[in-house]
Amino acid sequence: MQPHLGQAFRHLKKSLFTLSAAVEDNLHVALQALESGDPRLIDQVRTRDLEIDLMEVDFEEECLKILALHQPVAIDLRFVISVLKINNDLERIGDLAVNIAESTPDLMGKRFVDTASRLPKMAEKAQAMLRKSLDSVVNMDAELAREVLAADDSVDDDYHAMVNDIRTLLRQDGSGVDELLSIMVVSKHIERIADLATNIAEDTIYLVAGDIVRHGRHHVTDEN
Amino acid sequence: MHRRSLLWHIFLPFLAVVVLSLVLITGFTSRSLRDFFYDQTGADLTDRALLLNSEIEPMLVQAEYATIQDIVRAKGQASSTRITVILPSGQVIGDSAHDPATMDNHAGRPEITAALTGVHGQAVRYSATLGHQRMYVALPLEQDGRIIGVVRTSHSLASIDSTLDRVQQRIALGGLLLAVFAALISFILARRISVPLRAMKISAERFAEGHLSTRLTMTADSEEIGALAEALNAMAQQLEDRIRTIENQRNEQDAVLSSMVESVLAVNRDEIIIGVNQASCDLLGIEADTAKGKTFQEVVRNPELIALAKAALNSEVPVEDEIVMRRGGERHLQVHATGLQDREGQRLGALLVLNDMTRMRRLENLRRDFVANVSHELRTPITSIKGFVETLQNTPPDEPEAVERFLGIINRQADRLQAIINDLLALSRLEQEESQERLGKEPTRVIDVIMDAVNLCTARDNTGAPEVQITCPGDLHVPANHALLEQAVTNLIDNAMKYSEADSVIQVVVDEQDDQVLIKVVDEGSGIGVEHLPRVFERFYRVDKARSRKLGGTGLGLAIVKHIAQAHGGEVGVTSSLGKGSTFTIALPANDVIDRGK
Repeated sequence: MQPHLGQAFRHLKKSLFTLSAAVEDNLHVALQALESGDPRLIDQVRTRDLEIDLMEVDFEEECLKILALHQPVAIDLRFVISVLKINNDLERIGDLAVNIAESTPDLMGKRFVDTASRLPKMAEKAQAMLRKSLDSVVNMDAELAREVLAADDSVDDDYHAMVNDIRTLLRQDGSGVDELLSIMVVSKHIERIADLATNIAEDTIYLVAGDIVRHGRHHVTDEN
Repeated sequence: MHRRSLLWHIFLPFLAVVVLSLVLITGFTSRSLRDFFYDQTGADLTDRALLLNSEIEPMLVQAEYATIQDIVRAKGQASSTRITVILPSGQVIGDSAHDPATMDNHAGRPEITAALTGVHGQAVRYSATLGHQRMYVALPLEQDGRIIGVVRTSHSLASIDSTLDRVQQRIALGGLLLAVFAALISFILARRISVPLRAMKISAERFAEGHLSTRLTMTADSEEIGALAEALNAMAQQLEDRIRTIENQRNEQDAVLSSMVESVLAVNRDEIIIGVNQASCDLLGIEADTAKGKTFQEVVRNPELIALAKAALNSEVPVEDEIVMRRGGERHLQVHATGLQDREGQRLGALLVLNDMTRMRRLENLRRDFVANVSHELRTPITSIKGFVETLQNTPPDEPEAVERFLGIINRQADRLQAIINDLLALSRLEQEESQERLGKEPTRVIDVIMDAVNLCTARDNTGAPEVQITCPGDLHVPANHALLEQAVTNLIDNAMKYSEADSVIQVVVDEQDDQVLIKVVDEGSGIGVEHLPRVFERFYRVDKARSRKLGGTGLGLAIVKHIAQAHGGEVGVTSSLGKGSTFTIALPANDVIDRGK
């Protein structure tokens, strides 16, 4: 019985890594599109995301099949649950990447270049967080995952500062509302991506250490 | 499987043989002896009986039973033999030991029965009354063919039995000693064999552990064991040679793979990494030891590479593609992936070879951009020239002043063409030097460069030129190419002059800060809008196209300044406010930087 389970898990891990690599890559292309405005890149992001959606459906089915056929327990069960949740988060990140790419044309007005130029820096932080959180899944490294949790505050601060500045600018001159709103929406997307990366990190901590660290709790389960 | 020591294999059979022989011999000898003694006793008893016969016979006939008894008693005591005389009826009439009247009928006794039939009867019986074995010999007494009585003699066999027992004990004792002796001998023999064998076992174990250089010494004197030792040595030698050959081959292979510029990755059928070379490790940021044994997806986080590996595993023909690697800087890679087969044609895995085409692509892009720029920018003045020439040809104006004006325009456009071409060539040369890092630098006194640049600019533009103020430490040196640095500063000052009013001041400030030499050109001109600032250093970028062309600009000045700065390992920057003025800064490394951190 065990050899089949082992093989199923190996295959699941492979699928997870393929999927996460695709999402990471697509986000990178979306951010390139944001900076350059190249419509071909925007199309590429959209097309790739369709493939990613299909991959995610397959992945979920794979997980459910393992649960049904093998009824895993203890750390194996934790693993399947965790990657199911990570799969969900990755899907949302993929969609957000598409959203960012598609908002790009609205930002080409170039009136508020100062404000808009803060977006790529914010995005780089979020991207780094995503990369680190996926590294922590691959290497089963809870320390790395905790670093991701710590990095979220910075992105949140950037976002709040952005919202305040936009509010101020809108009060000064309401004519730039289209561009400013697009900027704010994109920054919200980026902040969301950082949050989802944090989710992935939390799922990893649960997987590795059995801790559920969401919502500020540090509840230690005695499984290890 | 429980194997017993050689000692037991030798000792037990030895012991068994010895014991068996002893037992057999003892038994045989005992039996022979006993038979002999019994025969002797039997013969002896028979003789004694015969001796009596002649005396007793006539008395029997006369039925002088009392006399018989006396004789029997006397003779019996004298010869220590039990003598019994029995009538054919079985009645005992004479006995040397007991009163015949008390004795029961002896007809049933086997020897008597036999004697009564006329034959010599003999029997051996255990006598309960006396407590030992006795032999009875009975002889018939005949008279005229008729049996008239039986004389029976008997002797104890006790002494014979005890003698025989003693003999057997002695033999048994001797046998025990022999067994001990045999044990000793077999022990020695066994050791003779097992000690060299054990030494060989230890050597063989050492071979198995990999210490193939030790050799067995021939201490055994038996041919078989000696031959075995030689064979083991030969085997060790062969193994050592083979392993050395294999190691050499592997080292050669490793050397080849690790010095390759191309990245090589090998995976097996389950998409597990079985081999990477140094170039792959550098490219993907992994370690060879940790990467081997992990899945491809886990180590290579690039979806296109993963897909290519999968395709190669399932394809009959090699798979090629160009991909972009985004982790750790953007890199263009050409990937060539083939399936790996073993000798029987079974799919073993896949091999990927990655070629880094980034530099080539970058150069291609540069060239493409250059051509695009050239075509565009050159076309404009040429169109203008052609237009005016055609006008002059087809509809020549009447006034000579008009013709003069047209020719003037044509001339200016031709000058412009020349300027653009010169600038483009300078730029392309700079880029080449930049990419090949072939810039001739030497310690240059900054004040000299500034003075040359200012002089050049003020010489060019005499009318209404703004004043230039220089602030520069007299002894500041920087590693630089004098001509190029002068050109960069010239361009900046030129720009400043173009976009400033005649009564404003242009300042050139040179400073050293944080390991950098900063050359700032500050003007009080019209300034540049903040939305243009990121792009002013782009080729042919103009904030105000009409004004720039009027002032004779090629659109390449700032691009040239930027490339000159970058060729020195430095950078350029600009700050500006509309209506107030701009500050352009060239930052150069104060010391020669060996690694430009590209």
